[in-house]
Amino acid sequence: MIKQQFKGSNKMNLLLLVALLLAMMVIPHFAKSATVALISRIFILTVYGMSYDILRGYMGFINLGHALFFGSGAYIAGILFTKLDNTFGIFILVVLITIIYCSAAAFIMGKIVIRGGSVIAGAMITLALGEIVRNMAERWRSVTGGADGLPFSIPPIFRDRLHFYYYALIFMLVMTLILRQFLLSPTGRVLLAIRENEQRAKFLGFNTDKYKMIGLQVSGISAGLAGVMFGVFNRFANTDLLSVQQTLNALLITLVGGTGTLYGAFVGSGFIAFVQNTLLNLRSQYPIFERWLLFFGAMYVLVVLFMPSGFVGLWQKLISEAREKKKGSAVDAK
Amino acid sequence: MDVFFMLLINGLAEGALIFLMASGLSIILGLMGVVNFTHGTLFIWGGYIYIATYNRTQSFLLSVLAAMAAVFLLGAVFEKLFVSRVYGNIPAQILITLGLQVIFTDLVRLIWGATPITVARPDFLAGRWVIGGATIVHYRVFLIFVGLLVAIGIHLLITKTRIGMVIRAGVQRPDMVQALGINIKLYFTFVFAGGAALAALGGALYAPLTGSMSSTAGLHNQVLAFIVVVIGGMGSFLGSAFGSIFLGLMGAVVAWFVPSLSVVANVTLMALILAFKPNGLFGLAVKK
Repeated sequence: MIKQQFKGSNKMNLLLLVALLLAMMVIPHFAKSATVALISRIFILTVYGMSYDILRGYMGFINLGHALFFGSGAYIAGILFTKLDNTFGIFILVVLITIIYCSAAAFIMGKIVIRGGSVIAGAMITLALGEIVRNMAERWRSVTGGADGLPFSIPPIFRDRLHFYYYALIFMLVMTLILRQFLLSPTGRVLLAIRENEQRAKFLGFNTDKYKMIGLQVSGISAGLAGVMFGVFNRFANTDLLSVQQTLNALLITLVGGTGTLYGAFVGSGFIAFVQNTLLNLRSQYPIFERWLLFFGAMYVLVVLFMPSGFVGLWQKLISEAREKKKGSAVDAK
Repeated sequence: MDVFFMLLINGLAEGALIFLMASGLSIILGLMGVVNFTHGTLFIWGGYIYIATYNRTQSFLLSVLAAMAAVFLLGAVFEKLFVSRVYGNIPAQILITLGLQVIFTDLVRLIWGATPITVARPDFLAGRWVIGGATIVHYRVFLIFVGLLVAIGIHLLITKTRIGMVIRAGVQRPDMVQALGINIKLYFTFVFAGGAALAALGGALYAPLTGSMSSTAGLHNQVLAFIVVVIGGMGSFLGSAFGSIFLGLMGAVVAWFVPSLSVVANVTLMALILAFKPNGLFGLAVKK
């Protein structure tokens, strides 16, 4: 199954991928600027979703404080751009500091959560950690701007929306390749083994705690980088980016797309951004759509109840069923 | 000495409030193995219903009962329609309760608005004693009293009554209990709704203490309750009782001496306890 997902490089899939890539490269030249912005957003959120999928889909760990990486990335960009300067050099510095910060945060989070053990304890502890970081950002007004948020200016190179679209696309592609390589590596395989049966992985001699820590590090750093891009995209950081709601966004992205598929994040973030956009456009006619969260929550519950493997899971199921049928008819013909 | 006495009362009152919240969570977790992320939402529903009723009737007791009854029903509906479908599937439980939390928190904003609404304390609890340099607010003493009463009540209910016996048996072997002719599903609904009613009691008593209720208070208190449940030992009722008192007292002391640290103190405490006792203080960990 896993092999099929990754190395399913049968010609159909490859062709589809190339066609999709080409389409994404030319789209901005035909689309409205609002659409270009929407798609750039989807690219960035895809990376955020993928970073979450490593935890939820490949490690079976529900992290409810994941937004602290994402939000911190945006804040680090905002703080450095306002306090120092908005040049490309500073952007490199932002990326480096985000990597170090997220690595350290993931280390602390891992130390606490892995001690706690179970999925339930993990979810509860990470929720608490995420809330604490959000609280700190809200109170540290002199640096973060508190609840008002932190608007900032960005390096000139990122200002053009059309150029930024391509940067976001490249960012997504590079991160996808890196994360895919990571999951295909021996370390990634061990993570899968832990998800399937932690006890057995332990008996095989793997130090499961160490591997979980590595997974959390990779996930945290990717989320942080996505946060940096998101901050640059919005030119604004606020405490919403650190909130539980932001974590739930990542969760919903992976849920809708399909957990444990990595590519599902693209489908999920695309779908959610599209639905959100449509609903928010409707609100001028129907005020009930002001309350986007109501629909968000309802979508959540419905997906968990009726579509637990998401769109990609559904698609794979349809394909495998079609194959079975083909096989069946071939046997009949004989 | 005065400061010590005041902090003791404040801390215990705070602890009692956290306990109302944490006990409901802990019971649902310990007996049913379900982690309920709607708890914070049920808490604010309790608070808002209390305020709405109180502003109409001016009756404290009636308002508290109304809040508990309404949220009891809400909890029963949650369990029947959603949670009961995903027993045994822990990730799905977490996700589905999170979804409900988002919906019902936003419903609160839809009905009562996004800004906090205020409420006065009832007259008979509004006063304060001044002993030496210490001020003791009547309402806080009342909270400690209620917390103690609830703790003893639940403990007796679970350990001494037939209902408690059925629930404890049902946790271990639901099929066996069902075979004995007891409708175990009904009992589980009852436990879940009971936990919800406790959260509502917490919310209803919280509102007069702070004088207002906002839609963000739920998450804040839920986080406190989670920390208590983790440090007390997942699902241990005794653990959440002591954890609440501990957290309440520490919160009062830290807020008095180093207010800037009050945000991180709770989590630091949790991290320290987990570092030395991974299963929490009363280590009855739910191994799942």
